[in-house]
Amino acid sequence: MSQSHRLPAGGLVDRAKRLSFSFDGKTLEGHAGDTLASALVANGVKLVGRSFKYHRPRGLVSAGAEEPNGLVELRTGARREPNVKATTAELYDGLTAQSQNRWPSLAFDLMAVNQLAAPMFTAGFYYKTFMWPAAFWEKLYEPLIRRAAGLGSLSGEADPDEYEKATVHCDVLVIGSGPAGLAAALAAGRSGARVVLAEEDFALGGRLLAERLTVGGVPAAQWAAQAEAELAALPDVTLLKRTAVFGVYDDGVYGAIEKVADHLPVPAPHQPRQRYWRIVAKRTVLAAGAIERPIAFGNNDRPGVMAAGAVRSYLNRFGAAPGRRAVVFANNDDAARTVADLAAAGCEVAAVVDARGDATALQAAAKAAGATLLFGGQVVEALGRGAVAGARIASAKGGTLDVPCDLIAVSGGWNPSVQLSSHHGARPRWDDRLAAFLPGQAPAGMAVAGAASGAFGLAQCLAEGAQAGRAAAEAAGFSGGGFDRPDVEPEPEEVYGAGPWRVSGSKAKAFVDFQNDVSVKDVELAAREGFVSVEHLKRYTTLGMATDQGKTGNVLGLAIMAEVTGRTIPQTGSTLARSPFAPVALGALGGAHRGKEYRPTRLPPSHFFAEEQGAVFVETGQWMRAAYFPQAGEKDWFESMVREVTTVRTKVGVYDASTLGKIDVQGPDAGAFLDRVYTSAFSKMPVGKARYGLALREDGFVLDDGTIARLAEGHYYLTTSTAHAAQMMRHLEFCRQWLFPELDVHLASITDQWAKYAIAGPRARDVVAALVDEGNDVSNEGLPFLGVKELTVCGGVKARLFRLSFSGELAYELAVPARYGDAMIRAIVKAGEPFGICPYGAEALAVMRIEKGHAAGPEINGQTTAGDLGMTGLLSTKKDFVGRTLATRDGLVDPNRPTLVGLRPVDRTARLRAGAHLVKRGVQPVAANDEGYVTSAAYSPSNGHWIALALLSRGPERMGEIVRVFDPVRDGDVECEVVSPCFVDPEGARLRA
Amino acid sequence: MPEPLIARSALRAHVAPASAPGSAPGARLREVQDVLVATVAAFKGREDELAAAVRERYGLDLPAGPVRAAAGASAFIGAGPGKWLFVSSDPSADPSGLPAAVVDQSDGRTTLSLSGPAAREILSTLVSIDLHPRAFGPGAAAATHASGVAVHLWQVDDAPTYEIAVFRSYAATLWRWIAHAGAARGIDAAL
Repeated sequence: MSQSHRLPAGGLVDRAKRLSFSFDGKTLEGHAGDTLASALVANGVKLVGRSFKYHRPRGLVSAGAEEPNGLVELRTGARREPNVKATTAELYDGLTAQSQNRWPSLAFDLMAVNQLAAPMFTAGFYYKTFMWPAAFWEKLYEPLIRRAAGLGSLSGEADPDEYEKATVHCDVLVIGSGPAGLAAALAAGRSGARVVLAEEDFALGGRLLAERLTVGGVPAAQWAAQAEAELAALPDVTLLKRTAVFGVYDDGVYGAIEKVADHLPVPAPHQPRQRYWRIVAKRTVLAAGAIERPIAFGNNDRPGVMAAGAVRSYLNRFGAAPGRRAVVFANNDDAARTVADLAAAGCEVAAVVDARGDATALQAAAKAAGATLLFGGQVVEALGRGAVAGARIASAKGGTLDVPCDLIAVSGGWNPSVQLSSHHGARPRWDDRLAAFLPGQAPAGMAVAGAASGAFGLAQCLAEGAQAGRAAAEAAGFSGGGFDRPDVEPEPEEVYGAGPWRVSGSKAKAFVDFQNDVSVKDVELAAREGFVSVEHLKRYTTLGMATDQGKTGNVLGLAIMAEVTGRTIPQTGSTLARSPFAPVALGALGGAHRGKEYRPTRLPPSHFFAEEQGAVFVETGQWMRAAYFPQAGEKDWFESMVREVTTVRTKVGVYDASTLGKIDVQGPDAGAFLDRVYTSAFSKMPVGKARYGLALREDGFVLDDGTIARLAEGHYYLTTSTAHAAQMMRHLEFCRQWLFPELDVHLASITDQWAKYAIAGPRARDVVAALVDEGNDVSNEGLPFLGVKELTVCGGVKARLFRLSFSGELAYELAVPARYGDAMIRAIVKAGEPFGICPYGAEALAVMRIEKGHAAGPEINGQTTAGDLGMTGLLSTKKDFVGRTLATRDGLVDPNRPTLVGLRPVDRTARLRAGAHLVKRGVQPVAANDEGYVTSAAYSPSNGHWIALALLSRGPERMGEIVRVFDPVRDGDVECEVVSPCFVDPEGARLRA
Repeated sequence: MPEPLIARSALRAHVAPASAPGSAPGARLREVQDVLVATVAAFKGREDELAAAVRERYGLDLPAGPVRAAAGASAFIGAGPGKWLFVSSDPSADPSGLPAAVVDQSDGRTTLSLSGPAAREILSTLVSIDLHPRAFGPGAAAATHASGVAVHLWQVDDAPTYEIAVFRSYAATLWRWIAHAGAARGIDAAL
């Protein structure tokens, strides 16, 4: 029968709107406004899942985000999502859900035999059972446990949906929209403050939606709707529904997840499925409410055992009856509402068990409902196999009676939701009167109001919320907000007794943490075995470590531990809640930035030309660089690289060097500044000249190298390596602003301003000469090696021409404003055609620099000194510079330090690889004999064999020695001769040609 | 003689795709073409001289703090103590003669304009500063980052219109990110 447990009237669901959904393949019907859980309740579905360890049948315990049992797999195909709480999944037409952790079916679960093996699964079973042999862990134990314990499964397909990150700033953030949250938001919002109200539910109101109360003379839900309408009309109030605040960070920053489209079958086009909010708040009101706690009795996990407040939610908000004949078991007056609401809904209340015998309102309600009342009695055990069929009740005098029922509504009191208040490390404090943990020192700027602070009554919630909202707005500089507390009905005097926490008298398991299957016996066992600290209790039993983070079970477990060890709860302690308070999908953390958009891609000026040429690209940091330009017939990068290197060495090539960092240095003290940050002097370098420069870190190690050109008296242009560009800019700004503020000098990054092409090879001058405008002398006399000129090219485009070479050939670097970069490379290639020019990529560049023995990233790796790189000569002795003093430390000038050398294989056909280690010939290749390693290796087309650069202890003294190059990872064991690191044109004649 | 070089934008359709909304656009994304951009930094002891020169040449007072001061086609935008970003749509407004460290960035930056009722919300998915009108109105400027891409942005008018200067090599990425965030908000993006 469809919706067999839907009440004939009442609730906030839209009965005119019928929604069809399926659970475990069975088609059911619910209404708009339902959650999946309430729709299941309305259809009389009790069994919703199997438990984690024992595969016990489980039903819904709660009606909210704390739900430990009702976890389902939502949707199918690529959108399948495991571990969705049925209590927060908003029903939509066509929703498909599967129960989890059952095999082969929910009703008949073979793994339930785990119960028979229960002794094996007690607290600490991982540690006790799977100790040895170690080899069994990966092959046997882990797969076994995973199969047995899985909580849902992923689709295995790529997530087709989009996610988004966003930031919102506000004066007052209100977390939670129950009576306290709404009052706070109204009080703050009316003052004109910018307010963000975040509510995890899809409707505002919190408990106002779940109770039969009146506020200001209207039903509570109606009052909540009025409050929402007023808030929505305030221009600077942002209502974030379906938004769970999960973490509190520094300086008023909060993390939250908005489930933008989780309530839709498929998000609208371009609509993100979830949005990750970074909320920056001047002040915050935490009004997160409270969570009802269970009482541990035998089989208290049977489907049909439900929190008393959740029963009211289903009855009042959703118009659905979780049972037809109920037993109410409570230690407080609050559950009196459940008794009254059940009776009002036409459900039979078979018995009311007042666990403490002093809850007067509970007694009155029982009387009004005509229920049997048991003072000081206890529910000992839930009866029934697959679902509750009765309750075994022990009376205060001793005897027991079995009461048939299909619902046991339980209240062990309420735990304020203090979790977010302890995210900065303050532990909550125990309050004896309320028998609850209250917030400790809340994070700066946060006030806690309403049930989250222990103010459980409606009148108190409204008063505290309004006060906190007003105070928050005032602290943020707003006044005039007001909130006149509406009239509410008188409420019962709260009696929130501490305990009973556990009930004895049943052999059946009594659960503390439903999601992780932690029972009272596990807590007792932990105590017996000495794990009495709460932190040990947690880790030993896994109490509170499931996805619900122990929202229902933690305090109960702690209280039982206190009882077992004869201590008070404060003596026993409390565990600290950490972020995230609600599960956060990784997709949401990434937002839109995933796949190729995970980080920005920088395109150099020649990119579109290179694309047209069919270049193969390589990512270098954020840059997209052409690795090589394959031509027809070339079968791999190696062939293309060899051709490109050979072309440069014999004819001419062009390379996009725009990715090098470029920095403009201006000011009267520019030269003095560079003298201090580079190891050699630049203040005396003539205008129109460039030189190689080396910069050290303050600790004396090499930071970066580059070229420095002097364009005018107080105007320099320097380049950095591509890899260190940002780091060098930071370092130079640090030096300028902090170390040498007295110097009058300014820095500007011009990396992106100039497109810069290296034109290299014996015919380079011919190409350059064809491009520069008339009257510009680029002859060897007009522009000698290391010369710099500002001139024009291609009919008036301003350009900078540098006679610098990285390849070791006659070479120029031609820079033009970046807007001309695309046209420039095309013009260079065209002008170079008669001379056999080819564009070359990063592969050829890297090979040529190894052939020339230039130190680059693998050598300038943060662990090498100028001496290690053979550059001691660049360390000026006539001036001070950053890193000079610390570079003279003993360890940095130790003559045994590995120093840059070249390696040539004795067997010229042998291959060399970077990372191989160097040992003397004839010694054991073990760490104790290690003398250095290969930093860079390449096949050298110019030499016709593999070559390498290496750091070798006392390297320069060992020229001609044969060393063993040992590479156990890749089975390399080659003998090499130690040679100069420069394998091509060691005299540098080509540079100066 | 080689052919004259043609100036090209950093943006092309295949890396900076267009986006057309079905109905009235929530925001409009364009590249601001042909602007002069330069960084201007005052030399020590010559701050007053620079201020006077700017006043005479451009008819405006150099702003203190993260503020855009505009007169006619030219504007100075605070970029740090004693530093400004100069932006002008007047090709004859070349600031290189000012008594300061002036560095041409006309090619180094791509300037995007994002305008319309959804512009603020779109930006809030990339930029984490407070863009609410109470905190950031016309004339306000900020050097910040858009999901890790360094940007210098300022608000031009109440539309609201934001102009965002970004290093040229990042321009296509920023375009895609803005267009992507704008897709659900009816962005009209066209080169």
